Amino acid sequence: MIDDPHFGFILAAYLAGVVVFSSLLLWIILDYKKQKQLLATLEASGARRRSESNKR
Amino acid sequence: MNLTFANPGRFLAFIRYAIPWLAACGAIIAAIGFYAAFAYAPADYQQGETVRIMYIHVPSAWLSTACYGIMALSSIGTLVWRHPLADVSAKAIAPIGAAFTFLCLLTGSLWGKPMWGTWWVWDARLTSVLVLFLIYCGILALWNAYEDPARAGRSAAVMTLVGAINLPIVKFSVDWWNTLHQPASVFRMGGPTIDKSMLWPLLLVAIGITLVVLALHFAAMRNEILRRRVRTLSILAANHEMKGIVE
Repeated sequence: MIDDPHFGFILAAYLAGVVVFSSLLLWIILDYKKQKQLLATLEASGARRRSESNKR
Repeated sequence: MNLTFANPGRFLAFIRYAIPWLAACGAIIAAIGFYAAFAYAPADYQQGETVRIMYIHVPSAWLSTACYGIMALSSIGTLVWRHPLADVSAKAIAPIGAAFTFLCLLTGSLWGKPMWGTWWVWDARLTSVLVLFLIYCGILALWNAYEDPARAGRSAAVMTLVGAINLPIVKFSVDWWNTLHQPASVFRMGGPTIDKSMLWPLLLVAIGITLVVLALHFAAMRNEILRRRVRTLSILAANHEMKGIVE
């Protein structure tokens, strides 16, 4: 397949797939970490949702 | 089941287990599919080895419309039932759908250059998929235009449902107009026209990637639920501070 005259197009298509999918995955993982960190900071400062305050 | 998982807390508990299972099963199935696509599926008698691009292009194309379908159903949930997770689902799937639509356009272009002799033609199928991508971009912009996620959700839901008219145009464009893009060859009346040796690796890749996309969708929904909790707590903290200043 490497000898195929269109091998560059096939490689580029799969590389594009890897880049797009990895970007999506990375964005979701980083966003998750960011939101968890923000939530932890707010809770550490004493902020509670009303539903959680009622449970206590 | 609808009511059981309407509660974001219960939903988060459910996806905690669902995400790794979906991702692992999807990755294994997609890996087997890609292996079969390169090791067992033959080269096409006309396209030669370039047909291998189809194993990434076709699942991306299916997912681009499937994600929009999920977004449209979620939008109905937002507007009709005000389901607490409906607009979370719609917002979470939008960037994933946009990414796969972009990938579909890009891989299609990379296939078109060696096969058609051009990167792009203003063909009905290609143009309608480009319109789908632009609609995704518009919806993403709309989500970011409002401060209040509930208001953004309702506006995005209306735009999503209006844009859903493009889905049958994408699907049937190859039948309604004389296009350079080939007609449907898998989901069609009379069964698939692709040889089994190429069809089963394609279906395995599509099923595998779909399961991974479901895992990504759930993970993005979890992020959105957390983002809304952060927003609520920030507002409560700000109100508390304001009260302190006034007193």
